[in-house]
This record gives sequence, C-alpha cells and structure tokens, in this order.
Amino acid sequence: MVKGALPRIESADQRGGPVVRVSRATLLKGSVAGVGALAGAAIGGAELAASADSSGSAATDREILTFGLLIERLQAAFYGAALAGGHLTGEARQFAQVVGAEEQAHVKYLTAALGSSAGPSPHFRFGDSATDPAKFIATAISLEETGLGVYNGQAVSLTPKTLAAAARVVSVEARHAAWARAIAGQDPAPVAVDVPIPVAQAKQTLEPFIVQ
Amino acid sequence: MTDREPVSLKVDDFDVDGAVREALERMPRSRFLGRTMAAGAAALGAVVVWPALASAEANSNDITILNFALALEYLQASFYTEAERIGALRGALAHQANVVGMHERAHVKAFKQLLGSAAIKEPSFNFHGVTENADAFRSTAVAFEDLATAAYKEQAPLIKSKSYLAGALAIHSVEARHAAWIRRLAGFLPAAHAFDDPLSDAKVVDIVNSTHFVTLKAPQTSMETNPHFTG
Repeated sequence: MVKGALPRIESADQRGGPVVRVSRATLLKGSVAGVGALAGAAIGGAELAASADSSGSAATDREILTFGLLIERLQAAFYGAALAGGHLTGEARQFAQVVGAEEQAHVKYLTAALGSSAGPSPHFRFGDSATDPAKFIATAISLEETGLGVYNGQAVSLTPKTLAAAARVVSVEARHAAWARAIAGQDPAPVAVDVPIPVAQAKQTLEPFIVQ
Repeated sequence: MTDREPVSLKVDDFDVDGAVREALERMPRSRFLGRTMAAGAAALGAVVVWPALASAEANSNDITILNFALALEYLQASFYTEAERIGALRGALAHQANVVGMHERAHVKAFKQLLGSAAIKEPSFNFHGVTENADAFRSTAVAFEDLATAAYKEQAPLIKSKSYLAGALAIHSVEARHAAWIRRLAGFLPAAHAFDDPLSDAKVVDIVNSTHFVTLKAPQTSMETNPHFTG
C-alpha cells in the first residue's frame, strides 16, 4: 500500500468531473442556500452510496473529497482571518498558526487529488467569530469537530486507497479539536467514540460562513 | 510548548520477549468464522459503540483486526486503570488518566462484546513503575496514544465490514484526541504534523514487545498458531 499518497481521483475516473463540479453560478445563486447547493451536489451521491453499502468508486471518492475540500478551505480561511485580525494571544494564537498551516496543507493535498474538479474556492466571511477570542475558540471547536465528524461518517463509502489517505487527515482534525477544547478549558476527548456528523448538520454549521 | 518529538518507546532499549506477539498470534482465524459471525451478530445490537447496525459480514481478517485492536485497548485500559489505582498523579494529569481510562475500558468492552467468544483474553501486564510517577506516566501515555492512532489508521482500510469500519473510525479519532491531550500536558505540540502516518501491525507489536509490559501470554483461544498479520 502506498502510504500518504492520495490518489489522483480525477484521472481515476473517465466519467469526468461534471457529476459533482459546482459551478460558480450555482454557488452564487443564493436562494438555494449556498452550502445546500454546494454540498448537496457534492454529497448527495455519497450518502446514497453509504446507505447502499457500496464498496466505493472513484466518483464517490471525488464527491466526498469535494465536500472535504470545502471544509478544509473554510478552516484555512478561518485561521487566516483570525491571525489577520490580530486579536489572538498566547496559546490561542499559537493554535491558529500551527493549525492554520496544517489546514492549508490539507487544502493543497485535496486540491491535488481532485485536479480540475476541485473547482474554485467560495468566499468566506467570519465576522467576530474570527476576531473575538472567546468566539474564535468556540468556532474552532465547532469547525474541527464538524470536519472530523463528516470524514468519519463518509469514510465508509470511500475506496480503501482513498480511505487510507483520508485517515491521515482525519486524526489530525481530531487532534485540532482536542487542542481547541483544551484551550477552552474543556475535556479534549469528551466521549469514548466520535459519533459521525450527518452532512445535513455539517452544512448548517458551515453555511453562515459562506458568502452567497 | 515545543515541537520536539517525545521520547518514544524504542525497540532497542528493551529485551523483546515476544509476549504480545505470541498473544496476537493466537487470534482466531477462518475455521472459527461461522461461530464468530453468529457471536458478532448477536453482540452488535447490544453494543452502543458501533454506530451502524448493518449485517455482521465478519470475515476472518476482520476478526483478526478487531482482536488486534482489542489487544491494544487492553494494554491502554490496564495502564490507566493502574495509574488511577496507585494514585500518584495529580491535577490535570490525574483527570486525564481518569477520563481516558474510562474511554479505553469502554473500547475494551465494545470489542469484547462484538467479538464474543472469538475475543482474545486479557494478558497480564507489568508496567514496571511507569504508572507510579508523573514523568514516566506522561511519556508512556504519549507513546501509547500516538501508537494506537497509527495502528488504527493502518488497519481501518483493511476492514471489510462497513459497520466494523465505522466503529473503528469512531475510535481512531478518539485515540487521536487522547494523543493531543496528553501531548499538550507533556509540553509537546498536540498536532505537530499536518498528516498522521500509519504504522504496520508488525511494527506496533515490536514496539509493544520492547516495553516488556506484557508479562503473561493470553490463554489460547484458537488451535491455530500460524502467525499471519495483515497490513
């Protein structure tokens, strides 16, 4: 098994990208609820695959990774905005620096795997979630746990090769979540198992940060 | 907080007695498949931990992997339970041992219920004093949690059953949380790298063996002794 190499999904499937590619027009359309349109296209097939207990396919891999990329892009932008705001100090600032760099690496990793079907990044707005230190850490916990919860839920639908690659990211998201919780004075690992987060719930969490 | 790596448990620092390896070699294999499937199916409904109530399509390789995970959970649960019983830890470290110990015991229970009669028995452990002082406890806990995270990561893609895979992933990320938690308390970056690497079962077993923490072999649960590990 090739460890660490996330397979180039696009080239693995000759059916091409349009299946899940979200056009800028769709993204900017608005009324269909930005993330709803975005993630609905990306994840509908994945949920279907999961319920059908599919053994995975390149198309399903791409759909799931596309949603993963949205989360990673949002996280990377969030930490960038928080650092740019200049209100973080101490361990929260160190957290934003270290975790922000790691989210950027995840964006790069997924973008490379998705190729042209990665599409352009949406624009994000974070308001005082990124600049108010207390809101920052609460938002970081929410975003990191959303990321790992979605990965945990969708991973069963990935092909083994892509699962192996995605698992290298999931546990880092879990480390981020634990670290953020510790900074907030909470138990880093509040429960014995991380329950997967449904895509619909993840969309609700992400939606307020995506510019229509 | 620094970016330096923790002192890990090195193979060369200890005599390798092979106890864990021998225990793991006794994992039940294909000849017990029929019985295992029945036990797994019966247990599945009762186990809260496993999120997906799918058909128990257990195959022998899945059973081997689940027993491998159970062996690691036995090791961790015993470590935290002993540390708590001895009572040498204070403050945040004592709290970590208490909470994480509960998690590891829950993981043991879940795997035992899932595996039923196919589950390997708990070996005896001797932690050689690392549960008796804070510094040794911290270093060992960091090594255990990073090791468990890497071990689950290697095994997960090899699991065939979707419900077992879902359960293993739900535990994998909790082990990563544990690792981040104890790394922070030990003064290491909780998430030092953008990507976590997997570790093969053979290497995991070598590392565990090197600690000499396993003192008594698990009672045999299978007549087959031919070692065969996946990964």
